[in-house]
Amino acid sequence: MLAHLASFAWDAPSVDLHALAPEIVVAATLVVVLVIDAFTGEEQRWAASSVAGIGLLVALVPVATLAYDGATRVMFGGGYVVDDYALVLKALFLLSGYVVVLLSTNYIAEGDYWEGEYYQLLLASVLGMMVMASARDLISIFVALELLSIPAYMLAAWRKRDLKSDEAGVKYYLMGVFASAVMLYGMSVIYGYTGSTLLAEIAPRIGELVTSEPIITLGIVFVLIGFGFKVSAVPFHTWAPDTYEGAPTPVTAFLAVASKAAGFVALLNLIYVGFWGRHDVYEPLMWVLAALTMTIGNLIALRQTNVVRMLAYSGIAQAGYILAPLAIAGSSPEAADQALHSIVVYLLIYAAMNLGAFAVVMAVARKTRSAEIDTFGGLFSYAPGLTVAMSLFLFSLAGVPPAAGWFAKIGIFQALASAGDTSGYVLAVVVAVNSVIAFAYYGRLMRVMWMDDVPDGDTTPIRVPTSITAALVITAAVTLVIGVVPGVLTHFTDPINLLALGR
Amino acid sequence: MSEYSEFVRQYLTVAIFAAVGIGLGAGLLGLGRIFRPVRPQEQKYLVYESGVDPVGTGWSQSQIRYYIYALLFVMFDVEAVFLFPWATRLEAYSTFGLIEMLIFVVILALGLLYAWRKKVLRWV
Repeated sequence: MLAHLASFAWDAPSVDLHALAPEIVVAATLVVVLVIDAFTGEEQRWAASSVAGIGLLVALVPVATLAYDGATRVMFGGGYVVDDYALVLKALFLLSGYVVVLLSTNYIAEGDYWEGEYYQLLLASVLGMMVMASARDLISIFVALELLSIPAYMLAAWRKRDLKSDEAGVKYYLMGVFASAVMLYGMSVIYGYTGSTLLAEIAPRIGELVTSEPIITLGIVFVLIGFGFKVSAVPFHTWAPDTYEGAPTPVTAFLAVASKAAGFVALLNLIYVGFWGRHDVYEPLMWVLAALTMTIGNLIALRQTNVVRMLAYSGIAQAGYILAPLAIAGSSPEAADQALHSIVVYLLIYAAMNLGAFAVVMAVARKTRSAEIDTFGGLFSYAPGLTVAMSLFLFSLAGVPPAAGWFAKIGIFQALASAGDTSGYVLAVVVAVNSVIAFAYYGRLMRVMWMDDVPDGDTTPIRVPTSITAALVITAAVTLVIGVVPGVLTHFTDPINLLALGR
Repeated sequence: MSEYSEFVRQYLTVAIFAAVGIGLGAGLLGLGRIFRPVRPQEQKYLVYESGVDPVGTGWSQSQIRYYIYALLFVMFDVEAVFLFPWATRLEAYSTFGLIEMLIFVVILALGLLYAWRKKVLRWV
């Protein structure tokens, strides 16, 4: 025993600092914000938000240099991979984190709550998402999931003297922990049968066990269901509307965009690298989840009277569209390629248009102190700029050119059709029917804004703070430019390839 | 046909697993219901809290100062769990291990610094 210990040799793992630079920058920003918060008084409270925003932008620099370099960097025995796919998504998380900081600045400064901690939690959550984009190992995926979720639970309950916010935090926390437990159980089954936590090593072994071990199905289903909670897929969506309504609006925007995207990233990593050989298991699961999610999300959205809740249910429906290509991902290599690209493109466009819609809701709520649909009445008469911006985002969410949403939706249809089998075509019809249903509630909000009278006759213009204006300009520009020239986006997403790592 | 029956068999595992999970919980509780005698008394419906009769509402405020110390203790307890195996083989991990562990300890120490500056460590 002792001899064995003495002969224990250990080689330092090669750490590629360039590949880790984006994460290191965000972690360093987190430490700086913590120190600033600990050693400054009330009058320097604004510093935390500025430093957080600048840190997120600085972290984009190494992402850009890595993308320019173009080489796939593999670390820690294949558990951590920095490739085009990871970089595109890291840029998405950093940019949406930056827009959320812009949205938060006034909201948090005007409320009676601590600022430093808010930005620390936000940065920690963004860091977890960036790790998730690169994680190719069950344990890394779990650590990344917890790193992005635990700060999010606390952010949801940020207005701690408000019962609705407490409810939001508790519901999100309980459902999140339950999902983690289910997922960990599935991971333990998969590890038990394959003897590895590396996705690339799980893939071949899981393929050999196709017929001999039915219990593997249980593991795969449990792990995928764990992330079904994260992306608020029906029937695991019950936390989403209450949490979105009760949480502070910038946090809602963050949860609805960045946190959901992180869940999809994990699903893509798992399905494309780890569970690739088992399309017989994940395809039907994803088919049912996608069809249920978009249909039920849209039907409940029709009946909402609160804009934030309506956007929450519309977000659930959008999650259904994004899940749809996974239902045919395993039918052929071409279909897999199409599905991957359509999902990544949809995630990027969804982030821009949804963050924009939340920015408008926040700007309007600063005047009306409410997010009920009625309070948007006659918005055009006193806030024409916001109305045009909101219409752009709603057109995009509904999939009407020239806003970017149409390109995302075309991608989903192309992917579903590329499978060339009945299940793909039927799901495409479900997506089409749902897109029509979605017009009803997007159109209703649009009619209220453009045609109804102002409810209380108060037509004083809205003063929109600079940071929210900046967020609106960024998201509107992205939505419009991608809608008119989709090539801007496909230039970055075309080189993406996940399959090469699984083989 | 055989392809589909294979597929159904795969998912049958999931269904059986769920049925056993629900059946076990429901069955055991139901079994208790059949066998236990029912003699309702008001005392039996009190909330049990360490043998002390509950007074007031469930929403009363409680003292959280012990809780903060418990949190800080857990933090440094976990640090110790990582430090011990590292310390026994320090020479094997050499400079790389030293730097990694320093980063870990410094980040945890920052947390303590933050708690101290926010006056969490004062016994109120």
